[in-house]
Amino acid sequence: MFCFMVEMERIVKANDREYNEKFQYVDNRIHTSKYSILTFLPINLFEQFQRVANAYFLCLLILQLIPEISSLTWFTTIVPLVLVITMTAVKDATDDYFRHKSDNQVNNRQSEVLIDSKLQNEKWMNVKVGDIIKLENNQFVAADLLLLSSSEPHGLCYVETAELDGETNLKVRHALSVTSELGADINRLARFDGIVVCEAPNNKLDKFMGILSWKDSKHSLNNEKIILRGCILRNTSWCFGMVIFAGPDTKLMQNSGKTKFKRTSIDRLMNALVLWIFGFLICLGIILAIGNSIWESQIGDQFRTFLFWNEGEKSSVFSGFLTFWSYIIILNTVVPISLYVSVEVIRLGHSYFINWDRKMYYSRKATPAEARTTTLNEELGQIEYIFSDKTGTLTQNIMTFKRCSINGRIYGEVPDDLDQKTEITQKKEPVDFSVKSQVDREFQFFDHNLMESIKMGDPKVHEFLRVLALCHTVMSEENSAGELIYQVQSPDEGALVTAARNFGFIFKSRTPETITIEELGTLVTYQLLAFLDFNNTRKRMSVIVRNPEGQIKLYSKGADTILFEKLHPSNEVLLSLTSDHLSEFAGEGLRTLAIAYRDLDDKYFKEWHKMLEDANAATEERDERIAGLYEEIERDLMLLGATAVEDKLQEGVIETVASLSLANIKIWVLTGDKQETAINIGYACNMLTDDMNDVFVIAGNNAVEVREELRKAKENLSGQNRNVSNGHVVCEKKQQLELDSIVEETVTGDYALIINGHSLAHALESDVKNDLLELACMCKTVVCCRVTPLQKAQVVELVKKYRNAVTLAIGDGANDVSMIKSAHIGVGISGQEGLQAVLASDYSFAQFRYLQRLLLVHGRWSYFRMCKFLCYFFYKNFAFTLVHFWFGFFCGFSAQIALDTSYWTFINHVFIWGSIAIYFSILFTMHSNGIFGIFPNQFPFVGNARHSLTQKCIWLVILLTTVASVLPVVVFKFLKVNLYPTLSDQIRRWQKAQKKARPPSSRRPRTRRSSSRRSGYAFAHQEGYGELITSGKNMRTKNPPPTSGLEKTHYNSTSWIENLCKKTTETVSSFSQDKTVKL
Amino acid sequence: MEERPQHRPSRLPDNSALKQQELPAHRLYFTARRVLFVFFTTGIFCLCMGIILILSARSTQEIEINYTRICANCAKLRENASNFDKECTCSIPFYLSGKMMGNIYMYYKLYGFYQNLYRYVRSRSNRQLMGKDIKAVDDCAPFKMSDNKTPIVPCGAIANSMFNDTIILLHNINSSVQIKVPMLKSGLTWWTDKYVKFQNPSSKNLADEFRGTTKPPNWPKPIYDLDKKDPRNNGFLNDDFIVWMRAAAFPTFKKLYGRLNRTHHFIEGLPAGNYSLNITYNFPVTRFHGEKSVVLSTLTWCGGNSLFLGLAYTVTGAITWLASFAMMAIHIMLKNKKMSFFHQ
Repeated sequence: MFCFMVEMERIVKANDREYNEKFQYVDNRIHTSKYSILTFLPINLFEQFQRVANAYFLCLLILQLIPEISSLTWFTTIVPLVLVITMTAVKDATDDYFRHKSDNQVNNRQSEVLIDSKLQNEKWMNVKVGDIIKLENNQFVAADLLLLSSSEPHGLCYVETAELDGETNLKVRHALSVTSELGADINRLARFDGIVVCEAPNNKLDKFMGILSWKDSKHSLNNEKIILRGCILRNTSWCFGMVIFAGPDTKLMQNSGKTKFKRTSIDRLMNALVLWIFGFLICLGIILAIGNSIWESQIGDQFRTFLFWNEGEKSSVFSGFLTFWSYIIILNTVVPISLYVSVEVIRLGHSYFINWDRKMYYSRKATPAEARTTTLNEELGQIEYIFSDKTGTLTQNIMTFKRCSINGRIYGEVPDDLDQKTEITQKKEPVDFSVKSQVDREFQFFDHNLMESIKMGDPKVHEFLRVLALCHTVMSEENSAGELIYQVQSPDEGALVTAARNFGFIFKSRTPETITIEELGTLVTYQLLAFLDFNNTRKRMSVIVRNPEGQIKLYSKGADTILFEKLHPSNEVLLSLTSDHLSEFAGEGLRTLAIAYRDLDDKYFKEWHKMLEDANAATEERDERIAGLYEEIERDLMLLGATAVEDKLQEGVIETVASLSLANIKIWVLTGDKQETAINIGYACNMLTDDMNDVFVIAGNNAVEVREELRKAKENLSGQNRNVSNGHVVCEKKQQLELDSIVEETVTGDYALIINGHSLAHALESDVKNDLLELACMCKTVVCCRVTPLQKAQVVELVKKYRNAVTLAIGDGANDVSMIKSAHIGVGISGQEGLQAVLASDYSFAQFRYLQRLLLVHGRWSYFRMCKFLCYFFYKNFAFTLVHFWFGFFCGFSAQIALDTSYWTFINHVFIWGSIAIYFSILFTMHSNGIFGIFPNQFPFVGNARHSLTQKCIWLVILLTTVASVLPVVVFKFLKVNLYPTLSDQIRRWQKAQKKARPPSSRRPRTRRSSSRRSGYAFAHQEGYGELITSGKNMRTKNPPPTSGLEKTHYNSTSWIENLCKKTTETVSSFSQDKTVKL
Repeated sequence: MEERPQHRPSRLPDNSALKQQELPAHRLYFTARRVLFVFFTTGIFCLCMGIILILSARSTQEIEINYTRICANCAKLRENASNFDKECTCSIPFYLSGKMMGNIYMYYKLYGFYQNLYRYVRSRSNRQLMGKDIKAVDDCAPFKMSDNKTPIVPCGAIANSMFNDTIILLHNINSSVQIKVPMLKSGLTWWTDKYVKFQNPSSKNLADEFRGTTKPPNWPKPIYDLDKKDPRNNGFLNDDFIVWMRAAAFPTFKKLYGRLNRTHHFIEGLPAGNYSLNITYNFPVTRFHGEKSVVLSTLTWCGGNSLFLGLAYTVTGAITWLASFAMMAIHIMLKNKKMSFFHQ
């Protein structure tokens, strides 16, 4: 706003406010409010009079102030106008007040800033670019910071980015080694005067480019060194950072789309109607004005002599002109101002119905549904596309160890009831773990057989659990109460380790060289000889340990497809059995992993280890050599079994998705999560099924590839389509020719599209956009994974703009805010920790399943009611106003009113129900002596009602009119129901017949999905921790590593960091390369 | 353990029928039996009502005597405004073939007089007519003040154009004896008009109260001389004045002039025979191509002699019956079709 020059790059000098002030960077204060006290009145009035109706009534008011043409008293217009404007203004003011409040709350958060070589508490809004701030554990990050140093060794720090991208796993950030040496030394930090030159503020969350110049040397900066606003510091007791972007420049704020004024399609229809009616009004006015001119010249002339008008002064044409304006005023009620007010009131009522709905109340979190915007209710009934976030919305983000297959035997299946295998009810007794001291109480497992097998001492089962307890990247910690807490990078791993823990194989602690676990009560320490970490091509991870007996073992877990290829031929029988089990697990939507081990002999391992060290020391082709060595040792594995982890869906998601798709609503999943996880959830929610004709995966790396893939998918789709409906090829071709521009809804068969963020970025560009949209709209299910918050919004915008459809976005985190804002209707999941999504949303409730009731019940009813109301309202206005038009023909077009109408506007505004009782009471009041006594000129109707209503004739006329108006409608309805019954008529008839018969048994047999699909699941985390663990970089120095008998792999710290960076980028690219993965 | 929200009020919405949108609702289901029943009964009702209304309308008697042309000389005289002070009477004989029974009302009826013109209707001062402030003439343009700036009472175009013919009905018992049919000039107005809307300033001496004002230009005499004999019919309370001031909605209208005083000879109504109307012709209508007439009429319970309502009822009833027969036919046809479908 302030700087009109576009910022090309940013130069920030640490601890030098004066220097930074030259560039006029914005400070850390955020504004989401619209008005201040002074600007409220002018801005708000200006905004309000931009509404057509308000402007129209202002004009009308001005017209009425001209006595020559005023046919109604001025207050009939000003009272409702003032009423409407005040009501809206009050509403706007309160809204803005709350925005101010939340702004203030955020702006006044405290953070510790280094000012004048001292740490001082400062409000967030006073933080400036270039300041150095100290953050403590579990604090929100105040601005986008360059990490300087932290409490953890090597300047590491952990952040949770859930608010930004929805991923709940912890991310590692590490400071430059030069700056991490500064530590917590305030004096040194205060003297730090590095200059950062970096990119201008942008909304790319995963990119940062910059250079730090300090002490005559330059260091390049990337995203790993930046902590973004909105993150939460975890597992790090403190860290220091230098503010690079503040306030509105931060990536979080840059990613939040602008708030738009949302309107419903009914609003637009209403506006169009009002315009048409206005045109109609003008026509009426012209007709009457012409009539008046003719009357004046023919009859009025003669009549004037009698009435003593100033003759000759007014020509008949001029009189017609005046009459035109008079009639515009009289007939103004056809353009109803009260319509807007009444519509708002009805919507408000609907919103209360939503708030009051017990069926949308989530008792566990005590959160009722809330309609935060009151103006969109009827649009809920018109939704065609739903864009849903995954984590927290569709899933609970809780991983639970559900079942496993060990040595060809399935555990975790409730054996007696075959149909309810998957539905574990509360009645079934869970396995009692309470005997063990170190258990996670929330863990539940329903199969006692596994426990028995453990007690029996089945070696395979023990080995299986040992793998779970040893082969992972989890870090353990003891909290103040002495309880064991696991720090997990991915919740899946957490689930597995927790499961092992509950079955008696408790992972206790680790050092770079050892892993200590408690095996059924006895502490066992394994020497960690090698750590073969996960990456996206390997899709497996292994550890090589030496147990106390001196045996060397390789424990491995990984994606079944990969691991099964590495098995020893002797496993064939077990493999086919396990394979069946895996299919079963996958069919239930569980995430599966295969577990295997290998006994290594000492000599072989030593040789291998030597080669590994050589490879590590090599400068050329290091990674290839290491990968080759990994391949080499991970073979001839012995299969142990498989695990199945459930990514717990929210309650009722499957049913909701099913009923919403029955209502022809398309659901798109937009998630920041990995492709595998997203697809898995797609299957779990029945959005993706094995019955689908094809699932297209778009994972191109550049625009050309993406376009090619899209084209192929489209060809594939239309090709298959033709094959399916062989007989109709000709006619379909014809149709396709006709409907070339319009997307063909004639696609037979179900298709799904899966696209990841990188491809989406290309696909959203210019000309590819339409291909994407066309393809996506032909598919039944669309899953977008690895998308940024802004991309989510872009996808929504795309559909909104080109499909002209009503969209709804639902999400729970800050990363969904922009999507929620840009969709027609935004829904936030409430009852969670973060509030951003709820604050940005139009509706909020605690569970995804309430969407069904919101859309199919409330939305539908609102729409019906609104339509009926509008019909009635327009009818009423026309009936009421056209009387004056007809009367014009009898009163010489002189704009005399036929009925006393002055109170009508009051009635409309105050009593929208327009009930007959109120009508009559007002009538009698207006016609009463008292009112007349006070305002004889304004209310000259004294006695009218009394005298007219005592005449029997009047009542007879009323009766006849009623009969004549009602009967044709009855005939019409009767004939329609009999001759052309609608679907709902038929259903109603059927229900009636059904009611007479005995109540139907509603239990449907649960259809189980048998799946040939093999889970392509791998770990949902990125590579990196394995190296951290083996290098010991993330271990606190206070527990010194015990001396190991083996030489451990040794890296110097810088090379380790380099490795890490390198691998992170590789992960990304290798991820996007595996587009060929067939699921 | 999860903390239970015991202390704060529960956020669970009330379980009332209104809030849960479970109020009993009824949806009309148009079964053949119901619809046909309703239609037949409505039809019968409308037909009966129509016949009753027609019969009662026909039982009323009404005579209308248009005297615009008959009193042509007077009409001619009045076309020139300067002859306003010349009196002109005219007598119209007519023969009543049958006697008119019951209460008889006498109306004057005007054709083509636009009492509903917007500017005309506005041109009155209700405050003045209430007697509160007789100098309140603001709304009365163009008849607010006389040329010498004295306020006009009663002001405004309506009052100025008041109908001022006098109509006297005479019964010729034989060729020589004529008796005046007694007409009541009271009870012609709405109660609210007489007792609320129109009030004289004070009843003591009207002339004093109206001092400092002037009569409307068209009027021959001031407001306080309208009926000198009866103070309750004088000033703003004059029934003829009040009747005129209630502006008619249509350009053709009739206004009540008097009602028969049923005494002596006329205790049963108007007997058959020769009558004549003696009219003092003051109100000019030919200037605007209007007409005027006198109407003598009896009333029934449902108003005057208009056949419209009765006919409308009859027609509606007939159409309802036709519709119900048609619907019955359609229904039976459909039923048979369905039956045969099931039998197949």
